[in-house]
This record gives sequence, structure tokens and C-alpha cells, in this order.
Amino acid sequence: MKTKIASLIALFVISISVNAQIDRSKMPEPGPDPVVKLGKPETFKLKNGLQVIMVENNKLPRASASLTIDNKPYFEGEIAGVSGMMGSLLGRGTANITKDEFNEKVDFLGASVSFFSSGAFASSLKKYFPEILELMADGVKNSEFTKEEFDKEVQITLDGIKSNEKSVTSAARRVEDVLTYGKNHPFGEYTSKESVEKITLQDVKNNYNTYYRPNNAYLVIEGDIDIKATKKLVKSLFSGWKKGNIPAYTMPATTNPKTAEINFVNMDNAVQSEIAIINNIDLTLGDKDYYAALMANNILGGGGTARLFMNLREDKGYTYGSYSRLSQSRHAGTFRATASVRNMVTDSSVVELQKEINKIRYQKVSAEELENSKEEYIGSFVMNVQKPRTVANFALNIARYNLPKDFYANYIKNIKAVTLEDVQNAAIKYFRGDKARIVVTGKGIEVLKNLEKTDYVIKYFDKYGNPTEKPEMTMPIPDGMTAETVVNKYLQAIGGKDKVMAVKTTMMVANATVQGTPVVMTMKAAAPNKTSQVVSVMGNTMSKAVFNGENGYQEARGQKMNLPAEQLAKAKDGNALFKDLGYTSGKLLRIEPLEGKNAIVLQYKDTEVFYDMASGLKVKEVETSKTPDGKEVKTPTVFSDYKAVNGILFPHGIGVKMGPISLDLKVSDLKVNEGVSDADFE
Amino acid sequence: MKKSILSLASAMLFAFSTNAQKVDFEEYDLSNGMHVILHKDTSAPVVITSVMYHVGAKDEQPDRTGMAHFFEHLLFEGTKNIKKGEWFKIVSSNGGTNNANTTDDRTYYYEIFPSNKLELGLWMESERLLHPIIKQEGVDTQNEVVKEEKRLRVDNQPYSRFLEYVKENIFKKHPYKGTTIGKMEHLDAATLDEFLAFNKKFYVPNNATLVVAGDIDFATTKKMVQDYFGPIPRGAEITKNFPKEDPITAPMSAKGYDPNIQIPAIMAAYRTPSMKTRDSRVLDMISSYLSSGKSSVLYKKLVDNKKMALQAGAINVSQEDYGTYILFGLPQGETKLADIISEIDEEIVKIQTNLISEKDYQKLQNKFENNFVNSNSSVEGIANSLARYHVMFGDTNLINTEIDIFRSITREEIRDVAKKYLNPNQRLTLEYLPKAK
Repeated sequence: MKTKIASLIALFVISISVNAQIDRSKMPEPGPDPVVKLGKPETFKLKNGLQVIMVENNKLPRASASLTIDNKPYFEGEIAGVSGMMGSLLGRGTANITKDEFNEKVDFLGASVSFFSSGAFASSLKKYFPEILELMADGVKNSEFTKEEFDKEVQITLDGIKSNEKSVTSAARRVEDVLTYGKNHPFGEYTSKESVEKITLQDVKNNYNTYYRPNNAYLVIEGDIDIKATKKLVKSLFSGWKKGNIPAYTMPATTNPKTAEINFVNMDNAVQSEIAIINNIDLTLGDKDYYAALMANNILGGGGTARLFMNLREDKGYTYGSYSRLSQSRHAGTFRATASVRNMVTDSSVVELQKEINKIRYQKVSAEELENSKEEYIGSFVMNVQKPRTVANFALNIARYNLPKDFYANYIKNIKAVTLEDVQNAAIKYFRGDKARIVVTGKGIEVLKNLEKTDYVIKYFDKYGNPTEKPEMTMPIPDGMTAETVVNKYLQAIGGKDKVMAVKTTMMVANATVQGTPVVMTMKAAAPNKTSQVVSVMGNTMSKAVFNGENGYQEARGQKMNLPAEQLAKAKDGNALFKDLGYTSGKLLRIEPLEGKNAIVLQYKDTEVFYDMASGLKVKEVETSKTPDGKEVKTPTVFSDYKAVNGILFPHGIGVKMGPISLDLKVSDLKVNEGVSDADFE
Repeated sequence: MKKSILSLASAMLFAFSTNAQKVDFEEYDLSNGMHVILHKDTSAPVVITSVMYHVGAKDEQPDRTGMAHFFEHLLFEGTKNIKKGEWFKIVSSNGGTNNANTTDDRTYYYEIFPSNKLELGLWMESERLLHPIIKQEGVDTQNEVVKEEKRLRVDNQPYSRFLEYVKENIFKKHPYKGTTIGKMEHLDAATLDEFLAFNKKFYVPNNATLVVAGDIDFATTKKMVQDYFGPIPRGAEITKNFPKEDPITAPMSAKGYDPNIQIPAIMAAYRTPSMKTRDSRVLDMISSYLSSGKSSVLYKKLVDNKKMALQAGAINVSQEDYGTYILFGLPQGETKLADIISEIDEEIVKIQTNLISEKDYQKLQNKFENNFVNSNSSVEGIANSLARYHVMFGDTNLINTEIDIFRSITREEIRDVAKKYLNPNQRLTLEYLPKAK
């Protein structure tokens, strides 16, 4: 009967919904706020210093144990990587069990146990958990380090380093850390081939005996556990873990550059540039302006609605994602704004990233942005607060950072209290666009030319963070490529040599605007080597240049002048119709990136000619001449918009730059073998 | 003495070891053909609204690869009632998160909100299905974004292309021969009309499965679902007719290059049946036997004992129409690629000839039970599994019963399946080599 009533109600509800249409043009209002219940963990401390946090949750029949050894970071120096290696060697046999037996046992129970330099982790089904925790404890307390395992690990570490040698992202991260913290800092040093080869088995044992100790350690146990029984179990397993004497170490201070600078790392195989704008900060969880700093960072680059993402991805399409990160730390914090961008837009991305950083420092964010950001944090808090892992993490943070017990109980209140002024103050304090390292890891030959146009000083580093010289800006010319093959490829690309040779005359009319005045240019050419150019404005001839193969003259404003000997010689040497036919005797200089494509550069006398490596088409010519006072002047001509006329491709866009004047010619008419007579060259 | 205390403690603790959990759910169809699955979990004030569309990279035209994934990007550009650029803002300013992903077989969109925002999640997903705004402007921006995604995830990453090389060789006819991210020139050539047609064909309620999971009330939720999705018109029936592959009968070999690596890799890849088959699940077990955990056969032999490989393992890529089974190794030191393959082959022959030991069999069962428990650990994961089991397998309750299939697989079946699929004349050997482009 009960079910019947229920379904009747359901029917009723549905019938209402059919009648009353919802208004989908309005965003639905949220229901009442869910009630937040902060979970409470059980904690206790062993005599050896180990602090234990337990969270019971019976949803699934499983449990996990997570050990964190919270020692202050220390410098490993010439044996950098020793702690990492120690971590990898943990649990490969103990005083009580061989490595194979250990692994077999863990795998047989379908469980997992792992060790690392600053802790360990174990998880399993509830029914196997005591056994698994015992195995973990055994590895923590009684690991043995054998020569055989050590040698193997050295080899694997070296191979691992090798396998990452060409990785652009890992080189970028490495150099970023070296430059941000300094090579003599625990966060700046890195594991290298050299340092690994220096590590001895004894070093590893010393590291274990010195640092792998319960003094500053936390053990978090979470899952389907019985608190009382687990406490007993932990006591019996971990009480025997002996306290150590951990050496004192003072970390070097980190510094930001006096003014922002670009630190460039050249990687020839990069298809994207890794950009990271980084500065050191002093910010720790629980600081007075901690929440304001969180909000500022979230608005700037916290995710898919933040300013960096909206600008660099959604507006410009430079990147798959651009973010900023504020890393609080008791030891050395950082701010980073990052993006991985295609080579062509590297400089623009640096500019946009800096623009956003400066904007949030100099202008208050909007009330709406702050409100949205607060809601984002509060929502995430509400959703996660009841998860056992969150309960455990909160307890762990309170202990590690020595926070007030009600730190998380006041979380929502503290977030809500952040003002617009607080956000700006935090941005000014922590986002140092003015004193940042702009670390760019990318392909120099494709990105440096434009980066140099920004205002920043560029310093060069190798992929290990050592200062170095600016990289070579050319690529090797492939074997077998000669001036002749390049010219032939060009001729092939525009329609084939046969068609080119069949051209007797060309006539071209092009339009441009010079300082606001429309100009028409008519150029004619005829075999074997005749040319004429007429420039006119509103039907009036302004200038004219003619060459009949032997002699020529220039005429401007009624003044006629014969071609000087030098120009005459040059004209005689050329081919009026297709200059390129003569370039086969030139020489290849280099490969240069041009607008995102590679061009092969051919030198012929005082002209450099650029052919697109892929299409074969000519994209640019640069003529170098000397002024009467001996200065070198370069006149570039750029060719674009190739279209076929009589089966031959001609550029229909021609750009010429002469000193401060640039001329953008658009070809409006082009005829082959018609419209030209000998009279044109008289 | 110490030992006995321990086992006593464990006896106390675990006398009441329960059976693995069961995921309760309710499912039904709307009159427009949309499938709805509801799951209640009150342990946290969270709600997930997600929609899985049965469209993926394999549904693309051969000259328009990457379209499905590209389209996923487009469906965040806005709807009739959600302005361009507002989607992500609405989600985060309501304390939620959201994302989407595309495979060869399906596309999945989801939002995770505090539970009082249930209606908001339903509104957003219904807006996306009913009237998304697809314009040239959005196509142009996302074209660049997708290219950056490819550069980031593929072109600049070591060992990121092997699946591409494997698939283009293993599949000759079926669209699995391409990659999900697709060819960039295809995306450049795609017109706005083609995107609109793609939307019209595949983004219809009768091709969609909605999951609502979390701290919800079923009656209220059903009403809201009806309000927001009920009025969306049904689309034309979608028929899928993919070409069938001919069996591989002779060994194939190929080389693939990656400018981001220095240490090569070797792969042996086999074409295997659909993930829906029992055989595919047996192959999952074989993968686990070979390479899951430090006591697994390949790790122990190649990495640990013989020190021939930095890594060695087996991957079973399970897909709707076919699977791809890949054995791989990265040589340590001077080891030759061919030697790694012959060591791996030796182990395959053992599986094909002898039964695996009772103990190894029990180990596999324990592992799969552990995976099963962990697979349902988050409500987000449960929502995804519910959608996947319905869309890909046609049986939502597999979320509870798939473990029974694994439990019923015998040692004999493991041997027979290895014999049936993992033979040298049925495979591709791929040398994955370092080289500048």
C-alpha cells in the first residue's frame, strides 16, 4: 500500500511538471546551503615522536596508512639524489624478510606498499590491513641496503636521467628551480649523472640512519578501522622505531633579480616554449594575508575562469592552459605564472602574462571576481570537508604548521572576510612582475628574435642552469641542397621551367598608398632583358624608369637622367622576367625561420633571397646597398599571395621597405605575353 | 610472542569483514530516448551531473579526424542562455568543478557541485544538449587551443606517440587506426557546417546517458530531470556500421620515431576482441599477471633479475569494437631490443603451455577484488562507471557484477586465451626509436 501511495505522489509530481514549464532563460537558484560537518580525527603521540592521526570511515572495506617524515629540507651537495635513492631502496629486504618474499606477500594480498625518502604509503582491503601495516612498519624500521640492489638502482637512475635528457619540460623545471632557489639550495639542486656516480652505498645507509627517523613524523591511518584496535596495533608496530639526531641546517636565502629579466634556455627539439614567470615569496599557511593571497592568485591564474586562462587561451588561443601558482612554504615559497605556448607566440605570451600580473597589482579586482573566487573556495571546502582524506589532511596541517585548533572551523568565515584592498595588497606583495625571472625554455632560432624586441635583458643558460652564450641562430643546411636545387625547386613551384621559359613579356599593375595618396605602379618586362616602371598618381605620371637591355634612364618631375654606370651594369647582368634564373650561381647561406616557417637563404651578389623550405616559393629578398657616406642600407622586399596567371604563380602582394617608408603593393592586373610592345622600352 | 599479539589484534579487528559494497542505482528512459541513471550517496554534500554521449573519434569521417574531441571543446563555448565565456565562470562561482573528455568510443561531460546546486548542473547539461551556440569565432579559437593541446601532450612529450604508431599498423580499415586528437590539417579543413551537422547527428537525447549521483532525493531529482531534459526533441536514429578487420595472420614490423627520447623502446602489439567479451577480461588478467606489481613476471625477470629493461610490461587497451594488447620494454644499458622481445616471448609461451600456479591465480583474484573495491571509492568515479557500463556495455549493473566475471575466469581459460591471441604471427613488432624530426 505504501508503495502505491508513493507512486501516486510521483505521478502527481510529474503531471505538474508537464503543465508548468520551467523558465530556462534564468539560471536556477541554489537550494539551501548544505550543513557542513567537520570530521574529527583521533590522535595520539608515541614516545619516539611519531604522531598518529586516525580517521574512521566505513563506506568501503579498505584502509590505508600514510607516513610523512616532516624534516626540514637539507642540502645534499655533490651527492645530490642520495635521499631519493635511499627512498627507492627502502623495503627491498629487511632483517626479517627477503625482498622477493616481501613483494610476493604484498602482491598476493592485492595490496600496495611503497616507500620514499620522506615517508611511506600502504593500502589494502580491510581484511589484510594488519598484515600490510606490519610489512610497511618492517620496511620503515628494518630496511637493509645491499650492494646488489644499490648497483641496480644506480644503473636505473642513470638510465632514467638519460631517458629524460631531451625532454623540454623536465629541462625547464630543472632550470627554473636552479635559477629561482640557487644551486646551493635544497630546492635548487638536482640529481645529475655526476652526482649519482659519486653516491656510495655507505652514503645511502648514512642517509637512512640519519634522516629516516620518527622525530618529526606523522602517521595517518584512514578507512574502515576500529580506532582502539588500530591504536594498539600502531603502538606495537612503531614503538620500536628509534628516535634519531637530525643535524641542524640553515637554508641559504633566496633572492629575486633587481629588475625583471628573461632567462633563456635553448632546446632545439622544442615545439612549444615553456614560460614561467617566477619570484620568491615569504608566505606560510596561516599567515594573516594567506587567504587574501589565495584569492589574488585564484583570480589571476587559479583555473579555467581566471584571467590568464581567459586571456591566453580563450581569447588568444596561444596555449592549452595558462595558470599561476602561489606555493606557500615554511622554508622557501614561490609565485609562478606559467604557460606552454607555440614557438611563434612566445614573445606575445610573455607580454600578456606580465600585463596580467601588473594589472592585478595596480588595479583592484572587481567585486564580482572576488565574490566568485570566494564561492569557488567555499564550494570546494563544502564538498571535500567530509571526505576522510580531507579530515586527515586538516589534522596533519594543523600539527605541521602549528595552527590554531579551530583553523579549519573558521575557514569559511576567514575567506568571506577578505576585502578588495586585501587582494590588491597581497598581489603587490607576492606577484613581483617587476622583480621576476622570466624563464623561457624553447627553440632559440624560432623565438629569440622576437623575444629580443621585448624590453627585458636576456640571459642565457644551458639546460642545467649554467650561464652560457646566446645560441647559434641558424640551422644546418641539408646535404645535397645547392643554389641550383633551390632555384629549380622554386621554378618547379611556380609552374615548371618550361612554362617559365615560354614567357616573353609580362605586364603588371599594382596599387599602393603612400602617405595617404593612392599610387599606381605599372611594370613591364620583355625578353631578353627589357624593363620599364611607371609610377602615377591620379593619372599623372610621377616617375618612370626604363631599360632597353643596353641603356636606360630615369625620369621624375620632367627631369630625365641616364642610368649611372653602376646601376646600368647591374641591370645588364639581370634577367628582367625571372631574376631567379640567374641565382643558380649564388651560394646558400643559412636556414632562417620566417613567420613560423623555415626559409633557405641564398646570396647572389648584394642580395639575400629567401625561399620557403616547404613550398619552394620565394618569400623575401633583401638588397644591401651603400649610401654615398658609406652606410649600409638594407631594402627588403616581401612576396606573398601567389596566384596563377597562364599557369605560372606570381606574387600578388609585394611589400617594399625603404628606410622609414613601407610600400604595400597589391597587384590588380597581371598579363603574360600581351599588353607589352617595344615602344614601352623607348 | 610478539607475533601472536599481532594476530590476535587482527582477529579482533577483522572478524566482521563485510562483503564488498553494492552500488544501488535506479535507471529509466525519458520519452525522447535519453537514458537516466540515479545514484544516492549521502556521505558528503556533493552532487555530480554528467552526460555521456555515445560518440567518439571512431564516428568521424576519415578525412575529419579529431572532430569528436574538437567538438567537446566547442560545447563549452556557450548556449542560448549561457553567454560565451560564461560556462566556466558559472561553475566555479558556484563552488563547482567541471570537465570533459573524449575517447575513440564516447564523449563525457560532467559537473561536480555542492549538493544544493543540483538544479544548476541539470540546467547546464540540458542547455548544452538543447541549444549550444556553435559559431566560426569559437571554432577559430578552439582550433588554436586544440593544436596547443596536441603540442603539449604529444609533440613535446617523450614516449607519447607509441599508441599512434601501434594503432596505424594494427588497424587497416576500422577507424581505430587514427588517434583521438586527430590530424591538424583535418581540423583546419573542417567547416562550420560540418560541426553543425555533427551536433545534429550525435548530440541528441537518444544518444545520451545522464547520470545524477550524490546527496540527492530521487523524487525531486526525477522531476527536475523531466523539466530540463524532457522537452528536448528526439533525434534521428543513429546506426553504426564500422568496417570489420581481417585477421592478422603474418608478423608485421614497423619503426616509429620520437625526437624527445634517447632510450628506445620495443613493443609487441596484438589485435584483440572487444572489451565486452569475456576474452578481453581474461587478457586483463594476463596483463596483471605479467606486469602488475614488483613480483609480477616481467618486472621480476627483466627489470629486477636480468637487469635488461628499465621498464617492461603489458597494457590491454580495451575498446568498444576491438582491443589492442601491447607488451613493451625499455632497454637498460646496452640490451638489444630483440633480446627483450625474446625474453617476453618466453614468458608468453609459458602461459600458453602451462597453467599458472594456484598461488598466482589467487594473487590475481585478490588484486581484482582490491581494484573492484577501490574503483567505487569516489562518487565521481561511480558516476563515470555507471555511465560507461550503460553506454559501452549495455548493462549498468556490471558495476556490481563485473567482479563475478573475473572471479569465474579459470586458469585453463587464461592459458587458452593466451594461445588464441598472443602468437607471433598475429602481431606487430614496433621499434620506437629516438630521432630528430
